[in-house]
Amino acid sequence: MMPLALDILLACILLLVFVVDLLLPAEDKRGIAVVACAGALITLAASFVLDVQGTAFGGAFVNDAVALYLKRVFLAAGALGVLIGMDHADRFFPRRQGEYHLLVLSSLLGMTLLASARELIFIVVSFELMSMPLYVLAAMRKSERSAEAALKLYLVGAVSSVVTLYGLSLLFAAAGTTMLSGVTAAAKAGNPMVVPGLVITLAGLGFKIGVVPFHMWVPDTYEGAPTPFVAFLSVAPKAAGFAALIRIFIEALPGQKATWAPAVIVMCVITMVVGNVLAIPQTSVKRLLAYSGIGQMGTMLLGIGLVTPDGLGMLLFYLVAYLFTNMGAFAVASVIEDASGSDHLDAFKGLSRRNPGLAMAMLLFLLSLGGIPFVAGFWAKVGVFVAAYRAGYVWIVVLGAVLAVVSVFYYMRVARSIYMERPVAGTEGRVPMALSMKAAVTVACVGVVGVGLYPAPFVETALAAARALMG
Amino acid sequence: MKSQALLLLVVVLPALCAGVTGLIPYVRRRGMLAGTLSSLTVLATLVMSLVLLGRANGGEKVIVNVQWMPEAGKTLAEFGLRLDGISAPMLVVVSLVAAMVQIYSLSYLHEEPSESLGRYFTWHSLFVFSMQALVVSTNLMQLFGAWELVGLCSYLLIGYWWAKPSAGKAAVKAFWVNKFGDAAFLIAIILFHAQYKTWDIDALENQVRVTPPGALVVLLLFMGVMSKSAQFPLHVWLPDAMEGPTPVSALLHAATMVAAGVYLLVRFFPVFAANADALTVIMYIGIFTALFAALTATVQTDVKKVLAYSTCSQLGYMVAAVGAGGKLAAYFHLTTHAFFKALLFLAAGSIIHGVHSNELPAMGGLWKKMKLTTVLFGIGVLAIAGIPGFSGFFSKDLVLEQLEHHTVVWVVGLLTAGLTAYYMGKAFVLAFAGEARSDGAAHAHESGLLMTGPMVLLAVLAVVAGFFANPFARLTHLAEPGFHLTTTGILALVLALGGLGAAWLFHGPRAKDPAAVPGFLAPVDALVKAGLVDRFYEWSYRVVMLGLAKIIGWVDRYLVDGVMNLFGWVALEGGAALRVVQTGRAPDYVFAVVVGLVALMAWGYVGG
Repeated sequence: MMPLALDILLACILLLVFVVDLLLPAEDKRGIAVVACAGALITLAASFVLDVQGTAFGGAFVNDAVALYLKRVFLAAGALGVLIGMDHADRFFPRRQGEYHLLVLSSLLGMTLLASARELIFIVVSFELMSMPLYVLAAMRKSERSAEAALKLYLVGAVSSVVTLYGLSLLFAAAGTTMLSGVTAAAKAGNPMVVPGLVITLAGLGFKIGVVPFHMWVPDTYEGAPTPFVAFLSVAPKAAGFAALIRIFIEALPGQKATWAPAVIVMCVITMVVGNVLAIPQTSVKRLLAYSGIGQMGTMLLGIGLVTPDGLGMLLFYLVAYLFTNMGAFAVASVIEDASGSDHLDAFKGLSRRNPGLAMAMLLFLLSLGGIPFVAGFWAKVGVFVAAYRAGYVWIVVLGAVLAVVSVFYYMRVARSIYMERPVAGTEGRVPMALSMKAAVTVACVGVVGVGLYPAPFVETALAAARALMG
Repeated sequence: MKSQALLLLVVVLPALCAGVTGLIPYVRRRGMLAGTLSSLTVLATLVMSLVLLGRANGGEKVIVNVQWMPEAGKTLAEFGLRLDGISAPMLVVVSLVAAMVQIYSLSYLHEEPSESLGRYFTWHSLFVFSMQALVVSTNLMQLFGAWELVGLCSYLLIGYWWAKPSAGKAAVKAFWVNKFGDAAFLIAIILFHAQYKTWDIDALENQVRVTPPGALVVLLLFMGVMSKSAQFPLHVWLPDAMEGPTPVSALLHAATMVAAGVYLLVRFFPVFAANADALTVIMYIGIFTALFAALTATVQTDVKKVLAYSTCSQLGYMVAAVGAGGKLAAYFHLTTHAFFKALLFLAAGSIIHGVHSNELPAMGGLWKKMKLTTVLFGIGVLAIAGIPGFSGFFSKDLVLEQLEHHTVVWVVGLLTAGLTAYYMGKAFVLAFAGEARSDGAAHAHESGLLMTGPMVLLAVLAVVAGFFANPFARLTHLAEPGFHLTTTGILALVLALGGLGAAWLFHGPRAKDPAAVPGFLAPVDALVKAGLVDRFYEWSYRVVMLGLAKIIGWVDRYLVDGVMNLFGWVALEGGAALRVVQTGRAPDYVFAVVVGLVALMAWGYVGG
C-alpha cells in the first residue's frame, strides 16, 4: 500500500464535503458535518487497516510509527472537533457551515502531512496548509470579538511563520539541501549556520504550541473565537506543533541537544509557572482553560526537552489524554456559552442541578486536567514527570507537583461553582444540548475514563513509536 | 473456561454491574431491577468462585500480572490476579455472603424509594468488586487502592439513610477512623517500597526473609488492619456503623470488609512474622480487643450493638491467633465467623423487620411469632458460643489452642469464650423466650421467603463448615491438618455451657426482671455507659487535636501565612505585571514574540 494513502483519502473526503455542500439545500446543510465526521473516522479506521508504512517523494514524506501515531491523534481530534462544532455551526452560521467543516478538514490535512514531513519546504507548506484555515475559522462568527480573535491569531501567526521560515532557510543555507537528513549531516560537520537556524526555528514553533513568551494570542483568541473551534484549536494544532518539533529537533538535530534542550527546558518551566499562575485570577472559563492549557503545554514540552525515548513517548501519550480531556472541557464550555451567552464562572453555577450528567462530565474533565487519579490526565502527568525524574530533573518534578496542586485549586473553583452554588437567577432549568453534542461529550468522557482505567495500550504504542524514532 | 478468565470475570463483573446500575438512569431509578441485576451478577460471581475454589483445591495456582502503566522497559503500575489456596476461599466467602445479603435486601428494603434502592445496589456491586480486587491482589498498590475503595463503600452504605443525622455522623466517623488507619498503612507500604524496591507481595515476602523489616514499619501496617478490622482502640467506628441498613452490617461489618484486615494478616504473614516483637504486640492487642468487646457486649441492649461488639471480639480472636502464629486458626475462624455472624445479623434484621425495634428489652416471646427466625438465630448463637457440632466450635478451638503457649492470653481467651456464650445467650433469651414486652413484639410476624431463604443457607453453612477444618488446612497450606480435641477444647466447652446457663438464669422467663443487668456486671455497665474510649477520643480531640490546632494555627497565621502572603503578593503583583503585558493589543504580542526570539538567539550565541 502506498504511504500517502491516508492523506489522499482525507483529501478525497475534503472534496466530497465540498460537493455535498453544493448539493444540499441552503436551508438544511447539517448533512455536511456528518460526512466530514464520518470521513475523519473512516480515515482513522483506515490507518489501522491499511499498511501505509514507508517513504515517498524520495524520503521527503515518511510514515513511521511516530507519524502514524500523530496522524491518529489528529484524525480523532478532527472527528471529535467536527462533532462538537456540528450544532453550533448549524445554529450560528447555517449557510456557511459547509465552509466551517471544509476548513477544519483542510487544516487536518495540513496536520497529517506535517506529521510525515521530513523536508523543509514540505514542512513549511503543510504548516501553512494547517494554519491558514485556522485564521478563517477563528473569524467564523463575524462578531467583533470573533474578528479580533482571528486578527490576533493571524498577526502573531504570520510573524511566527516568517520567523520559522527564516530559521529553516538558515538551516537550508547550512545544509545546501532541503532534506532534513542533509541538515543532520551539516550539523554533524559543525556548520556554524545550524545553531542560529535551529534557535530561530524554535522561536517560530513556540508560537504554534503557545509557550511563553509566544503565548499571548492564546487567551484572547480562545475567548473570542467560536468555542467549538477552540476545542479543536486547543488540541490538534498544538499536537501538530509538537510534530514539527519532533521532526526537526528530536529526529534531525539530536546531536545539537546541548544547545536547544536547555533552552526548551527553560521555556517549559517558565511556561508551566506563567500558565498556572495566570489561570488563578481568571473568571472566564475559556480564559481559565486557555491559561491552564498554556501550563499543560509547558508540561508536554518537557517531553521534548528531556530528549529521551521515555520523555518523547510520554509526550505522545499525553497528547491522547489531553485530546479527550481538553476537547471535552471546551465542549461543555460551548454548551454553556451557547445556552447562556456567557462563559463566565457564574454561568456554570448550579450546573449539577440543571444538568447532572453534563456537570459530572465537566467534573471528570477538570479532574483529568488537574491530574487526579484515576483519570487519563493523571497517568499523562505521572508519565512525563517520571520520565523527567529518570532523566535526573528532580527539581522539575517537585515544581511540577507544586504547580499541579495550584492547578487543582483553580480547576476546583469551577467544580465548586458547578456543584456547590445555586444557579444564577434566570439560568435555572435544563441546559439544552443537541444530540451531536451529547455524543461528543460522551465520547470524551469514555476516553478520559477509559484511558484512565487502562492506559497501558496507549502508553505502549507511544513508547514503541518513540523508541523506533530515537533508537 | 480458563482460570485466568474466570478470575478476571469474578473481579470485573460486579464492577460492570455497578456501572450499569449506577450510570444508566433507567436502571438506577428502578431499585428492584437494579437489585435483581446486582443479585444475579453476584450469583454468577459465586458460581465462578466455586469453580475456582474447586480448581485451587486441585492444586492449581494462577498468578497474572497485567501491565497497567508501562514505562520504558519497565512497569510503573500493575494490576494482578492471583488464585491460590488462600485467595480462593475468600472469593467464595465474599460472593456467597454478598449474594445472600443482596437477595435478602430485595425483601428487607422493599419499602425504600426506588431511586435510593438503585443507589444502594450500585454501592453493593462496587463493594463486591473492590473486595474481590483486594482478595486477588498481587501487589501492594492494588491492595491499597482496593482497601480504600472498600472503605469508601462502607462509608457510603453506612450513610445510606443520609437524611438521618446519626447515620451521617456514623458514616463520617467510620470514614475518619479508617482514614487514620489507611494513612498509617500507606506510609508503611511506601516505607516497604523504599527498603525493598518492590510493590510485589511475593517478592516482598521473599525479601523479608533475608532482611527483616523494623517493628515500626510492621506496626504501621498493622495500624491499617486495626482500623479496618476494628481492633482496640480503633474499634470505635464499628458499633456506630450499625446505623446502616442491617444487611449492610451483615455483609460489610460482620462477614467480609472487617475481615479484610485479618485476611491481610494471613496473606502477608511472612512480613508480620519477620518481626517477632511486632507479632507479640499484635497478639496482645487482639486478645485485649476480644475481652474488652465481649465485656461491652454483655451490657448492650440494642441487638445490633451486641452483634457489633461481638464482631469486634471475634476479630480480636483472629488477630490474637495470627499474633500467636496461628494463621490457619485465624483464617478458618474468619470463614466460619463470616457464615454464622452474617446469619445472626440477617436473623436480627428479620426480628427488627417484625418488631420494628432494635431494643432487646422491647422484645420477648418472639418464639411464638417467628419460629423459623428463632431456630436460625439459635443456630447462630450455638455456633458462635462454640457448641460441638456447630462450626464455631471447631474454629474457636483452633484459635484457643494456638494461644496455649501464652498462659495469660490463653486464660483471657477462655474467659472471652464464656462471655461470648453469655451475651449471645442473653440476646437469644431476651428476644425469643418469655412473654412479649411491647406492642411491636406482640404483633411481630415471620419474614418472607426472600429473607428466610438466604438465612437457611447460611445456617446450613454455619453448622457444617466446621467439619471442613482438615480440607481447609490442606487447601490453604497454612498449617498441618489434624483436628483433635484437647483440654483447651473441653474447658472452652464447659465455659460456653456455663455462659449459656448464666444467660438463662439471669434473663430467662423465670428471672424477676429479664432485661436488667445482673449485679456482677454492674461495674462493666457503668464503665461502658461512661464511654471511656469515646471520651478519650473526645478528650484527645479537644486537648491534643485542638491544642495542636492552636499551635499550628499560630504558626500558620503568623509564619506560613506571612510567607504565603508574600508569595501571594508576588504572584498577584507578578500577575498584575504580567497582565499589564497582556494588553490586548496585537502589536505588543508581536513585540513579545520578538523579545522571545532575541532571547533565544542570545542563548544560541552564548550557549551554542
